[in-house]
Amino acid sequence: MARVFNWQLGREMSYWYPESRPQKQFAAVFDTNKCIACQTCTLACKTTWTSGKGQEYMLWNNVESKPYGSYPQAWDLKLLDMLEAGKWNGNVYEGKTIFESAPAGERVMGWRPEDQDYSYPNVGEDDCAGQVDHGALMSLPHMQWFFYLARICNHCSNPACLASCPRGSIYKRQEDGIVLVDQSRCRGYQECVRGCPYKKVFFNPMTGTSEKCIACYPKMEQGMQPQCFVNCIGKIRMAGYINRPEKARGDNPIDYLVHVKKIALPLFPQYGLEPNVYYIPPVNVPSSFRQQLFGPGADAAVAAYRNAKNDPDLAALLCLFGCTESMMTHWNRQGDWVSASDDQGKQLVKVPVKEPVVIRPAFDPKQQLVRINCP
Amino acid sequence: MRRRHFVFPILILSAACSRAPRVANDVEIVPAAKLTLDPNDAVWRDAPVHAAKLLLQDLVEPRLMKPSTAEVRVQAVASGNEVAFRLHWMDATRDDQSSPGRMVDSCAVQLPQKTEKDAPAPQMGEAARGVEITMWRADWQAYVNGRGDTIRDVYPNAAVDHYPFEAQSLAPGSTVQSEMAKRYAPAAAVGNRRVGPRKSPVEDLLASGPGSLSPNAAGTSTGRGERTKEGWAVVIQRRLPDGLSPKVRSQVAFAVWEGSQQEAGARKMRTGWIPLSLKESSK
Repeated sequence: MARVFNWQLGREMSYWYPESRPQKQFAAVFDTNKCIACQTCTLACKTTWTSGKGQEYMLWNNVESKPYGSYPQAWDLKLLDMLEAGKWNGNVYEGKTIFESAPAGERVMGWRPEDQDYSYPNVGEDDCAGQVDHGALMSLPHMQWFFYLARICNHCSNPACLASCPRGSIYKRQEDGIVLVDQSRCRGYQECVRGCPYKKVFFNPMTGTSEKCIACYPKMEQGMQPQCFVNCIGKIRMAGYINRPEKARGDNPIDYLVHVKKIALPLFPQYGLEPNVYYIPPVNVPSSFRQQLFGPGADAAVAAYRNAKNDPDLAALLCLFGCTESMMTHWNRQGDWVSASDDQGKQLVKVPVKEPVVIRPAFDPKQQLVRINCP
Repeated sequence: MRRRHFVFPILILSAACSRAPRVANDVEIVPAAKLTLDPNDAVWRDAPVHAAKLLLQDLVEPRLMKPSTAEVRVQAVASGNEVAFRLHWMDATRDDQSSPGRMVDSCAVQLPQKTEKDAPAPQMGEAARGVEITMWRADWQAYVNGRGDTIRDVYPNAAVDHYPFEAQSLAPGSTVQSEMAKRYAPAAAVGNRRVGPRKSPVEDLLASGPGSLSPNAAGTSTGRGERTKEGWAVVIQRRLPDGLSPKVRSQVAFAVWEGSQQEAGARKMRTGWIPLSLKESSK
């Protein structure tokens, strides 16, 4: 195996291929605290891309009720159990990644779900979270509900799916770092399904090939954010491009959230894939659980997030989530307004940091009616 | 009307019928009047059998670390410009449905692209010295035998609300309808030949090293596999290798994938090169 530097682990690590960075890297920030699991993102993706035969069970985008919801079943618990706990020394991961833990004869440590594991899109959804009248019927290590975790392919910098494919049928686009399965080359060995720790590659039994999230690249090529981003009711998502930490630009929205403020963190960085979807961690979950999912910076991220009301720039940038269909590559706050622009400097959107408060009288004399406040 | 039942006496099998075929050290192609895809045809009764020991594919990752199928018994007959191989191996489980997490039983015959004294690397050839491979799959055989190609054929209780390309406004089979269906089957849209439903249970392939497998558009192989009491019997018929003659030998290799053991692609049991000879007709 080659050696590559993984900045999320703060060290070099083993990977099947030598380091090769794309010209630009697609990345996203999801604010878990705003997600209500309405699954509109899931449907937006489903109707756009996976309405075909053999794709019935595929959810390139899904939302899970954590800690127990998972699709496929136990995708996270199973690998965590196989990998065993690894320690962090500050921001340096001292445990083993899935590449470094690969058993003899394997390229990565992985497992392949059985078809029954795809039977339940989100175990635990809508379960009651509090104490029921006569006590819960069973007790679990965690509460039934902590937060909602929206997931797409992470378009990793060190993709395990790509490393696993013995045919080289998976590639990472140089122009934007999006990871794709070459549908003309794939022979359906399902090695990528086995290798991806996030289980975001799906086998299509009708075409005999594996398929995955394509980050809506036809939209991205037109400067637009993917379907699951623009259809998000809660405006929890922002798509853009991320730079390496040493090249971080404060006026790049993704860089600012990930590198400057460090409030957005990768999911399971200890796997070693350098995933490029970053999460603002949930505020109301146990710290140990949060750190297992998002690494050692999770508590500091939550503290910075909670302090956003006293941080005008951060508060302003958070207002740009879900405000435009266009890809925002630059942002700028001026007083109480925040704007975003593209690479050509064209302003895409401008919004107030605080929406003006308008108090309407209960009686509308023009319409001659009484307004009712609906809950 | 009452049917009359007759009991026929059991005929004593002739000595020729019960005689076991000759065991050969190599794979010998013997002449036949006519080739058949039927693995139970009488043509196989006298064709010499080579029992090929199968080895783990443990040279390139992902490797197969646990042995499964131990042996494949091979026979070969030729007629005109065609050769038919019959492969028979033990397999307790029928794995003929490919789906998430489920692999299928398969086998393959590999020959050098050029008949030369030194064969290329047995692991799927090497650069500029390629190999021709014909692969048979149990799921393709099931489709050819009449199994449907829908999600309900895989999961009988699957519930499907709607496919956009089956909207009432689209005439079934129309160009518009089929074009729309292709949009939701990307592998079909780019012409991947693995897309079902299959018309043949075999596929012709070329390779020049591990990971280089590609379709062989010039291939004309056919085949048929049947479940036996012990496992599978598969006939793969293809063009006789160029240059092979009673005076010039070649090499052949085989591979078997055991679906129940999650074998696919590089995870397989395989042979090295086995000498291949073409016997002259005695007539």
